[in-house]
Amino acid sequence: MSGAPAIVILSLLQLLLLLASAPLISGIIAKTKARFQHRQGAGILQPYFDLAKLLRKEVLVSPVASWVFRSTPYLVFASTLVIALLVPTVVVPVPLDWVGDIITVIYLFALGRFFVALAGLDTGSAFGGLGASREMSIASIIEPAMMLAIFTAAVTAGSTNLSVIVATLSSTPASMLNPAHLLAFSGLFIVTMAETGRVPVDNPDTHLELTMIHEAMILEYSGRYLAFIEWSSQMKLAIFLALLSNMFFPLGMATTLAPWALCVGCAAFFAKVIVLAAIVAVVESTNAKLRLFRVPELLMVAFILSLLALILYFIVGA
Amino acid sequence: MDPTNLQTVGLLIDILAAAILVTAFLVVSSRSLVFYIRLFALQSFFLGAVALLVVLGYGETHILIAAVLTIAIKAIAIPVVLSRVIERIHVRKEVDFSINIPASLLLCGGMVILADSVAHSILGAQRADAPAVSRVLSVSIAMMLIGLFIMTTRKKAITQIVGLLTMENGVFLSGLSITYGMPLIVEVGIFFDILVAVLILGVFIFRINKTFESISIDSLRGLRE
Repeated sequence: MSGAPAIVILSLLQLLLLLASAPLISGIIAKTKARFQHRQGAGILQPYFDLAKLLRKEVLVSPVASWVFRSTPYLVFASTLVIALLVPTVVVPVPLDWVGDIITVIYLFALGRFFVALAGLDTGSAFGGLGASREMSIASIIEPAMMLAIFTAAVTAGSTNLSVIVATLSSTPASMLNPAHLLAFSGLFIVTMAETGRVPVDNPDTHLELTMIHEAMILEYSGRYLAFIEWSSQMKLAIFLALLSNMFFPLGMATTLAPWALCVGCAAFFAKVIVLAAIVAVVESTNAKLRLFRVPELLMVAFILSLLALILYFIVGA
Repeated sequence: MDPTNLQTVGLLIDILAAAILVTAFLVVSSRSLVFYIRLFALQSFFLGAVALLVVLGYGETHILIAAVLTIAIKAIAIPVVLSRVIERIHVRKEVDFSINIPASLLLCGGMVILADSVAHSILGAQRADAPAVSRVLSVSIAMMLIGLFIMTTRKKAITQIVGLLTMENGVFLSGLSITYGMPLIVEVGIFFDILVAVLILGVFIFRINKTFESISIDSLRGLRE
């Protein structure tokens, strides 16, 4: 199987996989958190019902909102879909790996964030502005930490292309235990918690006025707009978990298109992502949300871990 | 010992060295005195493990006693003494810093880079074929610098002790990395020195707290009748 049709089919399959599994991953995290709180919790399929409900509901838009507000949900969703095509999940190399590397992925996320922040400001509500300013100030600290963590992996592989990084690492499994590698992983894990609005930084469950960041920006959205934004955030989480598991522990990934290899790859992908999702839930359940002014300290720890990773790469070698 | 086992020992030493460095950074990043003590215990435990790996990997049996003493004294005895001091003086948080946490972390990151360049010039040309443990030299120099940094920028007497102990761990690690550890008599001398120092400092902190109702070293600037 090769040529243009194969690329299209494979890319579509990968897109569908991430689109379909993202709400499930959020559902698993929510369920795990509920069990930690000795609650029964909603079923793990609840995010699908929520999305279906929101898609059917009427859209209410403030009369002062401009085109930025209306186009943002589609822009965010579209940029997330493009990222979903670039990130290795089950098979490596990704069919569209020549389209963009890891830096493209980071800046597509930044594009989405930029428009969500604009839309938060657009309606002129106090909460939108508050959320937007918080999101952007935190983002400016997250980005260098994320860059350094990812550069550590890129330097090890000698390329910023995600598929090359993953392929190089899976051909030398011993380097998965390299200290530089482990530190970059922990740095990127903290970045993931911050970037996807998880507990030490932001709380995805509540609309608590004074502490919310992401929820404050999207407070004015309703109906299918909200559905698209929620779905993009869920996909963002799934993509970050996929990056964490595949960039640092690419065990079991399919390197050929044989059906058996694809099955193993799928199983390995879900196993790794579910383990990471459980870790996220444990971290969320055992930590209190940080005061906003303490968040830079946590992110600075992530930055320093990534910096140490890069330094250790040169001290210890790959 | 055959090369693959030696390689595994080298990898484990690398991981432990990274973990030691991370514990030093976590001390810089946190505020809780109890957490400092736990981190120091963990750090000393990793240090003891590195020493044990040197015994196993390179057959340097004279380090064995030092390794056991590291774990017994630094990872168990000293943390217990310090925790009891904290319990008695009811001070749990480091509140005043000369330099805030994000800036301290960045400065310490710079120190690691500095330490690495210094270690490069010390080890010089033999770097390529030197044993794995010599790569740890940069980490040990960084530990000494970070310990000194903790002592100069934090104001609680307990934190000063933790800084001193971090420096001492750095010295032990550098001894391990260059010459597989100092002669046993020196090591034992240092251990008892440290243990007695911590005991005396513990009593001292208690007295400071009683006299000034605080363990901030700022109160020690003026003489009192």
